[in-house]
Order: sequence, then C-alpha cells, then structure tokens
Amino acid sequence: MNGPQQLALPLASRVALLADPPASTTESQAHYTDRPGILPLRKQAVDWLGKHYGLELSADEVTITCGATEARFVSLKQLVGPGKRVFAFSGSSEHIQPAATLLGQTLTHEIDDPSTIGVVYLTSADTPEQVQQVLNQVESSDCWVLWDTSVGEPTGTHPAHHPSLNNRVISIGSFSNVLPGWRVGWIAGSKAANKLRAYKQSMTICSTSISQWAALGLAES
Amino acid sequence: MSLTNPNIPEDVRAVAANGTQLRYKLMELTAQYPDAIALGRGDPDLATPAHIIQATETAIRQQRTGLSPVAGLPELRQAVAQKLRSDNGLPADAENVIITTGGQEALFLIMQVLLDPGDEVLVPDPRYTSYDEAIDSAGGKIVLVPTDHADAFNLRPEAVEAAITPRTKAILLITPSNPTSGIVTEERLREIAAIAVRHNLVVISDEIYEKFVYSPWKHFSIGSLPDMAERTITLNGFSKSYAMTGFRGGYVSAPRNFIEAMAKVKAVTTGPAATISQWAAHAAVTGPQDAIADFHRIYSERRQLMMDGLHKMHLDFSEPRGAFFLWTNSTPTGIHATELSYLLLKEGRVLIFPGTGFGENWGGYLRISILQSTDLLQEALTRMEPIIARYRATA
Repeated sequence: MNGPQQLALPLASRVALLADPPASTTESQAHYTDRPGILPLRKQAVDWLGKHYGLELSADEVTITCGATEARFVSLKQLVGPGKRVFAFSGSSEHIQPAATLLGQTLTHEIDDPSTIGVVYLTSADTPEQVQQVLNQVESSDCWVLWDTSVGEPTGTHPAHHPSLNNRVISIGSFSNVLPGWRVGWIAGSKAANKLRAYKQSMTICSTSISQWAALGLAES
Repeated sequence: MSLTNPNIPEDVRAVAANGTQLRYKLMELTAQYPDAIALGRGDPDLATPAHIIQATETAIRQQRTGLSPVAGLPELRQAVAQKLRSDNGLPADAENVIITTGGQEALFLIMQVLLDPGDEVLVPDPRYTSYDEAIDSAGGKIVLVPTDHADAFNLRPEAVEAAITPRTKAILLITPSNPTSGIVTEERLREIAAIAVRHNLVVISDEIYEKFVYSPWKHFSIGSLPDMAERTITLNGFSKSYAMTGFRGGYVSAPRNFIEAMAKVKAVTTGPAATISQWAAHAAVTGPQDAIADFHRIYSERRQLMMDGLHKMHLDFSEPRGAFFLWTNSTPTGIHATELSYLLLKEGRVLIFPGTGFGENWGGYLRISILQSTDLLQEALTRMEPIIARYRATA
C-alpha cells in the first residue's frame, strides 16, 4: 500500500457526495461503560435540561454519544423515513447538511408541505419566534423535532413544551465547547430513545469511558 | 432446535431472533444477580498496562487533549503503520491508516464507504452479528458462508467461491474468530486470496484478536500476500491486545483513497476519535509489549482450565486456536441454547451467551468466555456442572 498512487479500492457512490474533512484544528476508566453511558453523566444531562428548559426526563431516556456529531447522524439515520425531507433554517443547516447528504436525504429551508418532512432540525441559535412558527406548521404532522442545544445558548424555549409534539422531540447536547477533543455528547428524550440508543450502540458500542468521566467532572464542577 | 420452554421471559423471547439484542438483553438480566459470574462479553478483565495509564495521565496534564484530525493523530497513524509493517508484513504508511472509535466503528465506516445498496458481503457463519448491522446499515446484503465444527471452523475456500455472485463485493475474514475462536490458516488464506484476485473482490480482514493465537497455530495477515495490498482492508484495534476496551481505540489499514473516503464519512458520523484515547493507544503500540506476553500466558491457563472443565461435563467444543472463547456444542442437553443460557443464569448465576447470539443457525452452541480469574472460572464450572448434568439426563 505504501507508494503506488494507483492502488485504490472501489468506493460506494454516497462517498462522492461528501466534502473533504476539515484539517486538524489543533497542533497536534479502561473498560467498556454501560451501553447508554455512565449513569451519573446521564443524570447530569437530565438535570441540565431541567434547569435550563424545565423538562422532566429520566436518565433512561439519555444516551451518551461521541459528540453532537454522532447524535445528529444517529437521529437522521433512524428518524427520516424514505422520501421524507429534513428541515433546517439556513443559518444552522451547516450542522446537519453533511449527515443528510451522506444519508441521501434532501434538506429544505421551507416547509411547504409538512407531510413531506421527516425531521425538523432546530437549535438554540434560532429565535423563539422562528421556532414557534415551525412548530405550529408541523404540529399536526408526524415528523420528529431535533433540538440541538450544542448550537447557540439556552433560551428557555424548548419544543418539547409544545403539547402535540412532546414525545417526538429529541434533545441533543455536547460538552465540546469546553472539552472539544474528548468527544462527548448526548441525545435525550422522545419515544424513539431506545431506537436511537440501539443504533448508536451498533456504530460505536459506547462512548470513550475516560471522556465520559471527564465530562462528568466538568458537569459536577 | 426450537425455543420451547414457556418459562423463558417474554422480553428474552422478543429479541431471541436478533443476536446483538439477545446478548444485550442477557447482560441486562445479569445485572439483577450481583453474584453472577459473567462469561459473556468479550471485555478483557485484566488491568490495562501501567505505562498506558501513565501516558494517558501525562497527556492530560500536558493538555494534549484538543481535537485531533479526523483520521487520527499523525503520531499514532505513523506508529500503527510501523506496527503493521513489522508485525503483519503489510506495506503500510501513515496515509494508509485511520484511527477509529473502536473496532465496531471501523466496521461501520468500512461498510459505509465500500457498499452500494445491493452489494453482497460474504461472511463466515457463525459470526459476530454486529457485522450484520454494519452491512445492513449501508444497504448491503450479508451472504453467509458455512463453516463447521469438524474443520475447527476454519474457512473453506470452496465454500467461499460457491457463495460468490455477480453482486459480491467483498469477503469478510475474522481470524481469530469471534465466536468460534477458530482461525483461518495461512494455507486457506492463500487460496482465498487467489479467489479474491480471480473474482476481483475486496477482502476485509478483521484481526482484532491477532495477539492471542495459541501454539502451534500462528496468525497470518492476508494483506501481506502478493497482489493483496491493493484489495485488502485490515481492521484491528487496541482494546483486546492491551485490555483497554473503554478507550475505544480501533484502526483500519487500506489503500489511500479508501482511508481518505473513510475520513470523510467519519467527519460526518462521529468526528475524530477521542484525543486522549489516541495518546493512550500511542503508548500501547510504541511502548513495551511485555504485557501481551503476560496476557497470553494468563489466557492460555484459563483456556486449559475451561477445556478440562468442559471435558468433565462431556461437552464437546471446537479447538480454541485463538481469542477468548470456547464454542461449545450444547445439544447433549436436549434444549435450545437460548433456554440453556437463560437457565444457567437464573439457576446457576453464570452468564454465557447462546450460539443464537451469533447467528440464527446456532441454537445448539454456547459461547463461553474465559475473561475471568481462574478462581471464578472454576466456580462457574462448579455451578454449571449440575445444571448441565440434569438436562443431559433428561434429554
């Protein structure tokens, strides 16, 4: 493999749709944890959602992921049905576009027909007015809502408070702002929680143990 | 054999057809029994070598924890390439290596990058059923290649060739094997390589248990054969060799274009592996290797103890030529392996995975792990013996 440039393997067609990965952004507990992630860290995620958004979830509804990246990919992969599209505001779509592209999903910035939307991707950076408008548009459809708290700052608004969407809202979070190289995020809530957890497990079994303990230390401090 | 016992709980029955879910369900049940001895999961119980822990602590103190490049730290990729050249005879350089969040992610990424919908992958049966999920997730189709007890579950080239169709994209090899602990011998690998070349197929070689092969058998990497570097994807990791599963460190070696494509997909699906884990892996692969020899000696003793115990129970098992498992024929008990597994847990407080955790065809086998101390293994055998004897007597 060393040397000849002509050595190459056939690639799946989906790969051709992806951009090159970003270049390095820097210069540069030893055994598996429980599949969902360590319990005290999951409880921290629950407490955080309660404190900032008034949500009442249980730790059983939380899965620790390899950053928000894995949380977003798992959600799109599992929740967007065939032929359905993904909605995101243009200002935040950069966070979801690559995963949607890999999965062959169409991203839209407008909801012309709510029945064609599989997932609505909203973030803490979107304004409460924008969020409310979208939720009103999709409240009678069967789409899922991804609420990404790793983008922007908590505003108090949370789609899970919308009465008709409550069990279709998945919250995503991350410790990457403070611990970027440790790769710890989480995914919480909704009636799809077990399904998302199972798929995450099939990708990476569990997230890095020592990273989870580091994130717990951060959360507790 | 069919699952007939009405006393098997509904939640176990509900997942009995899905090997991966069945294994996880049994682990969940085990948590109810604090005195249970777990001979299920392939998680080494031995301590991670001290120099790896020390290197991890040093990296933290020196704040070498920032985000790594998606394909991994250059230092680690270089070190792994060196290891692949010296240990495996693969002509690898750093650009042929990507670091992953464990072997499972490596498998997932390989399938995402390799398979278009409908592409077929030949997989030896029985198998670690996470392969099924990775292949399915990419829209591929798993095609099982039978292996059998009489052949110590070595892969037969003629069985491989018979399974090839116009949609076949790759042959997956797992040597040493999980769950059978068999190996694919060098002679067979040479024949399989010739088949791959003849049919223009990719070979995926999972070598995660390579360091634990028992005399007189030896590990051999198919990618080292002539004309194979350009069509071989080698999967490996640090978890099993250095008892560091929680660090989630794996890697893949392949032609450069494939590694670059894997990095693109990894950037979108999970991002870089945790930087601290990569420094730990770097210490593992560049540091003293004495621990592997110690681990090998310990596993050899345990393997012998378990073989002796199973002989006493008159249970037949396939010769464990590598890895951590005894793939044991449970048909003399007269009950389905899933039932037997459940009863061993409930009545004997011993967790052993049924063969159906590794494919739907294996209701007459158990996979017994040796990843406990000799005292606990002896205690597990003591607990198992009367249960096995009782069912054998009524079979």
